[in-house]
Amino acid sequence: MTLRSELTSVINGFIRKFERFKRFKMDENSLFHGLSFLCAASSIIAILFITVFVGMEGLKTFFEVSLDNLLSVRWAPYYGSYGIIPLIVGSLTVVAGALLISVPLGISSAVFITQFIPKNVHDIVKAIIEILAAIPSVVYGFIGLIFISPYLISLLNVPTGKIALNGMIILSLMVIPTITSISSEIMSSVPKDYIEASLALGATKWQTIRGVILPTSMPGMIASIILAFGRAIGETVAVLIVCGSVAKIPVGNIFLNPVYPLTAAIAMYMGEAVVGSTFYHVLYTLGLFLFIITFAATTLADFIIAKYTKALRRIVI
Amino acid sequence: MRKLKEYLMITLVSVQGLLVISVAVLLPAMIFWIGSPSLSLKLFTSSVFEGGLFECIMGTIWMLLGTIAISGPIGVLAAIYLVEYAPRSSKIVRVVDQSINNLAGVPSIVIGLFGYTFFSYHLKLGISLLSGWLTLSLMTLPIIIRGSEEALRMIPYSFREAAIGLGATKWEAVRDNVLPVAAPGIATSIILAVARIAGEVAAILFTACVLTMRGLPDSILEPVMTLSYYLFVMLVTSPKFSISKAFATATVLLLVVIFLVVVATAIRTYYRRIWKW
Amino acid sequence: MVRSEKIKIETIDLHVWYRDLHVLKGVNMQIPEKRVTAIIGPSGCGKTTLLKSLNRMVELVEDSKVKGQVLLDGVNIYDDSIDLTELRKRVGMVFQKPNPLPKSIYENIAYGPRIHGINDKKELDKIVEKCLKEAGLWDEVKDRLNDSAFNLSIGQQQRLCIARTLAVNPEVLLMDEPCSALDPRSTMKVEELIEKLRGTYTIVIVTHNMQQAQRISDYTAFIYYGKIVEFGPTEDIFLNPKEKLTRDYIKGKFG
Repeated sequence: MTLRSELTSVINGFIRKFERFKRFKMDENSLFHGLSFLCAASSIIAILFITVFVGMEGLKTFFEVSLDNLLSVRWAPYYGSYGIIPLIVGSLTVVAGALLISVPLGISSAVFITQFIPKNVHDIVKAIIEILAAIPSVVYGFIGLIFISPYLISLLNVPTGKIALNGMIILSLMVIPTITSISSEIMSSVPKDYIEASLALGATKWQTIRGVILPTSMPGMIASIILAFGRAIGETVAVLIVCGSVAKIPVGNIFLNPVYPLTAAIAMYMGEAVVGSTFYHVLYTLGLFLFIITFAATTLADFIIAKYTKALRRIVI
Repeated sequence: MRKLKEYLMITLVSVQGLLVISVAVLLPAMIFWIGSPSLSLKLFTSSVFEGGLFECIMGTIWMLLGTIAISGPIGVLAAIYLVEYAPRSSKIVRVVDQSINNLAGVPSIVIGLFGYTFFSYHLKLGISLLSGWLTLSLMTLPIIIRGSEEALRMIPYSFREAAIGLGATKWEAVRDNVLPVAAPGIATSIILAVARIAGEVAAILFTACVLTMRGLPDSILEPVMTLSYYLFVMLVTSPKFSISKAFATATVLLLVVIFLVVVATAIRTYYRRIWKW
Repeated sequence: MVRSEKIKIETIDLHVWYRDLHVLKGVNMQIPEKRVTAIIGPSGCGKTTLLKSLNRMVELVEDSKVKGQVLLDGVNIYDDSIDLTELRKRVGMVFQKPNPLPKSIYENIAYGPRIHGINDKKELDKIVEKCLKEAGLWDEVKDRLNDSAFNLSIGQQQRLCIARTLAVNPEVLLMDEPCSALDPRSTMKVEELIEKLRGTYTIVIVTHNMQQAQRISDYTAFIYYGKIVEFGPTEDIFLNPKEKLTRDYIKGKFG
């Protein structure tokens, strides 16, 4: 049914129900029907409201700040410089580095779990990896500062441990579970027929993995990476703690310089911006940017999973 | 040669897999190892100003309770509507499901920004427990709705059909046959939602928390301290903070979160085994 | 057609659509009281749909539309003022695949009476025992009434479902291929049960097994692509079919 004909029938349904209203019996059945509808409706309204609110406040910036200013490389909000490029570069740097680490590790773990470990241990091992996902981000910041920082300082000869590399490592730990859990779910659902066919032709275990399992799981793996990207780019507290607070495009080695992601900027300046001021609108623009990116990532990943994989939709983000 | 490559790849993959698993085990273990000596009754009962964590622990508990009290019922009822009452093939339901999924992916700092401007400022709730509850509910609602929907959808249609055939109303059929069976799944999703926000900082950064507070707030319109926020401030305002205090806080926080996740997983696994259909 | 029998259910120009699919095309049928009426016909011709229209369970199917009348004791059940829960109490249904509720054996039977207002434990005990005895299950389960219903074999589950339906004291029993999921021994037990119930309840049974129809029914209706081709006493239909279509189907020329 098209959306339009469906809306028409919904409206018709409401009209019919309204006419039956005259003989309405207030009983338990209709009470809960109405109550649950209200809850569902409020949830949707809340989501719509947040979207509209963030959108409106974020778009107001474009009336108050010139595009030149926004697209400059100078982020100095107290002086009226709202160049968001360093922030975007900061976010992308940390996220890219995190993905560089987490994608091989995450996919390998998924292969390891689904192919090299006996079935009855699967659930336990997956649960263990989920621990990485459950650890709060502030604790990750703690780990980065206390455990990783000293090593970085001594191993790499840098003055401080608050560098992009630290953030990349921490962030990768946070998103590996996303990649692993989704990818392993997809890999487990590769039809046995395919695997048997490959082995029957004389392929080795690895050849089967490389030739059959990985290609078949590719859409799901890509979806998991997209979701990991969305998760990583939205991370605030951990990167705030370990990445340093210098909002400049790093010169020289991107790993060894501090960076300032978008999320950290919002967090640090939220308390300083007067509600309704230009600065406040700029913060909302940053928020809107993040909102749109994560929105797109989630929708895209869901679309890929729904359309291209046969996995049961038991995927939890 | 073929054999060699085979062994190489398998080793490579296994090493990475084992690495990830070990890190997952070692990280919390390390923190526990170093932090647990600090755990004592005194830690839990004495005020933050006397080296304890009382206000933080109570603050966290109050924050979690209130959030679940608000978002739990709303989320479960919303899920019931979406699964039981809304037409199954409806495009609107799919759009709704997608939106709920998307909300779950929104960065917590953006939710926090929204909460700060809307709840704290526009609704004049200020920096308060209530403001924090509402903001965190925006984060838990999608998790609860999604988990509950899944639990409800796993229940065979035949239960509802049989009950209605006997003359039950829609609500009676759901209440007596679907909800009892879905309860463990719904409980699991609520517990996981709590685990998600137990360590949350970004969302409550400016909506609910303050650093210096003695004792407990007098009303829900006052701010609180939470374990997560306390740890955060310690790490960011550097370098003068007490390492042992930080470890203690991190340990308690980790204990809470891991405990919740273990309970949720245990419930899920147990019930998945005893179901016979 | 139906000689000097009191008519329990009558359908008048009944049409049913699933979205754009016209499933039932003007069905006119009379179900005699306290007799067993079988509905036979090839798969997909609307047998289950017809059955489900008799207790308005057809409305649970999405995008379904019903036109026409179904009279139960002369009253149209599709009238807006009809209480659905009362209707389904009077017209019970047994499904193709046994569908016990996720409760104990006792609670499965007690559920129907409970939702219709009976809460006294003693009374429920009596009802449970009576219905299990009627269904021939009592001896097999009397010692484990609190066991999960899913611990029973498929055949026992189906008899449990029948007992459960009897517990609300219906006047009509609608049965949708009740034996198709069962083994021959269980099938025999269910057929014996139906034989016992004949004369007390009006029974409408959909079956694709023509021998079964001949064994247990008094009247048979042959439906083909949404229309009743022939209806009459079972003997007449099988030994002396008037329509060519009926003759062909019975002879197994299609199915």
